[in-house]
Amino acid sequence: MAANMLRLYLTCIRNTLEAAMCLQNFPCQEVERHNKPEVELKTSPELLLNSVVICRNEAEKCLIETSINSLRISLKVKQADELENILTKKFLRFLSMRAEAFQVLRRKPVQGYDISFLITNYHCEEMQKQRLIDFIVQFMEDIDKEISELKLSVNTRGRLVATEFLKQFI
Amino acid sequence: MSRHRQKHNMACFQRESPALKEILLRLYRAEKPLEFDHHLYEFGSVEYHVQASASIPDNTYLSIATPLLYQDFILSSGLPRYTLEMVKGISPDVIEIIEPPKEGYKLTLRLKYSRIPRNKGGVKMIASISSVQGVILSSQLKDMLMNVNSLEVSQGMYRPVKLIYHPREPFFVIKQPEKITAVFPMRFKEDTDVIIATAFFQELMDIGSSKAFVKAPHCIWSPIPPAELRGEPIEDLSTNGGFVSFDITGRHVEGKRLDKTVWNLLNFYAFVKYHVKSTRGFIQRRMRTRLESLVEVLYNAGIKDEHHIKKKNRGPKGVRKLLNFSKSKLLKKRYNFINKIKRIRSRIKIHWFSRFRKRWLNFSRFSSVTRYEKLN
Repeated sequence: MAANMLRLYLTCIRNTLEAAMCLQNFPCQEVERHNKPEVELKTSPELLLNSVVICRNEAEKCLIETSINSLRISLKVKQADELENILTKKFLRFLSMRAEAFQVLRRKPVQGYDISFLITNYHCEEMQKQRLIDFIVQFMEDIDKEISELKLSVNTRGRLVATEFLKQFI
Repeated sequence: MSRHRQKHNMACFQRESPALKEILLRLYRAEKPLEFDHHLYEFGSVEYHVQASASIPDNTYLSIATPLLYQDFILSSGLPRYTLEMVKGISPDVIEIIEPPKEGYKLTLRLKYSRIPRNKGGVKMIASISSVQGVILSSQLKDMLMNVNSLEVSQGMYRPVKLIYHPREPFFVIKQPEKITAVFPMRFKEDTDVIIATAFFQELMDIGSSKAFVKAPHCIWSPIPPAELRGEPIEDLSTNGGFVSFDITGRHVEGKRLDKTVWNLLNFYAFVKYHVKSTRGFIQRRMRTRLESLVEVLYNAGIKDEHHIKKKNRGPKGVRKLLNFSKSKLLKKRYNFINKIKRIRSRIKIHWFSRFRKRWLNFSRFSSVTRYEKLN
């Protein structure tokens, strides 16, 4: 059931990205010889498309904001308890600090979300569009999986250490 | 298991003081009697003073100043008799307790090096002597725990006794009928540490209540102070990690178990802090490993001519370089082109024109595509 819900959620995001990722080069209208991602500046409303929020539940959602030359994807990851909360924060902050390795990753997430991507028309020229979308979807799956595995590992470690500590009394 | 061994190698879990052990071993192994006067400070509050005289080689004096576990126990006459017996028991032939101790110190010992055997046993003896601070502190707790089954109602019964092993980390011992409860108020500097430690305490409670560990002390964790600590000063009860309680019964203090139980209780804080630190390191290592696999997916998104990519360039550094298309792609093309031309030219070698080869191969600089050039 949960797997089906996740599949539906990811499929919806994939379809939305396929429709939204039609980017083209568009020089800045405000400043001569400048070329800026319009989705970040939001100075010209005519260059922006309607943003889309796809919610799996109250805790998990995805915000897709599109403009003529750039696309911003913000993700809110599920955090069931305090341990998942800190693991998610740590892991996503770790990745954001190394944003240059990902190219499309934003160093700071959009407010209200855990991680953000910024895709420009240059990225679409250098990389294959389908594979970029695959990367985003795969990333979401991997993050969920990794957080769950980390939580399990931390609890397993705690269990082993507690066992060793109590064995000394026997 | 290797982590368990590592724990015992850590200085905070070792009974002997590593620095004191090194000094005593140096005196032990010296070929000639040494003139030695050395002050040693540990953990901010423990002081050792080692004195040896070249003229009287057999007498080495070791003085120790350490805050006691139980502050109310400080007597003007010095350490309690039980503690002195425990210290003497480390090595009765070698250690002699000097009364009164040197000024400013709780205890002064004379060590007779001539009675220490010149073999591995001697080194072990030195190691035992270096653990004198641990022996002093643990003797107080041993004295309290040994009377766990006593039915004698003393004046201090049910009143929590505050003990300080590590500075700023007091814990409480409460005598009750047929058991003694040790309560540890847990404090951590960061919220992450609190959450990791709380997960550990919950596992500790689960494991402790399982059938396999019926014989281990019953363990409880609660976010609020237990009822037994009501009336204690607020600064001792304000924590962010809750309170961990262990119920020590007669079974846990029988024979050799007493020493282990005491040592485990005294080092509980250090044990938890070590676990939290190791877990943070584990999380960091795991994230680094995961980063490579996540980046690889994006690396595959950027490949158009896959046969040009060499296998040996794969890996984190190679991936980062190849991902940086916008900057290095043009430079790479230019570099390959120049190398190709040089290789073609270098095959044609005319011997008597060799002196002019440099001039022929001196290419004019390619104009940079990114740099702006003024047109005349």
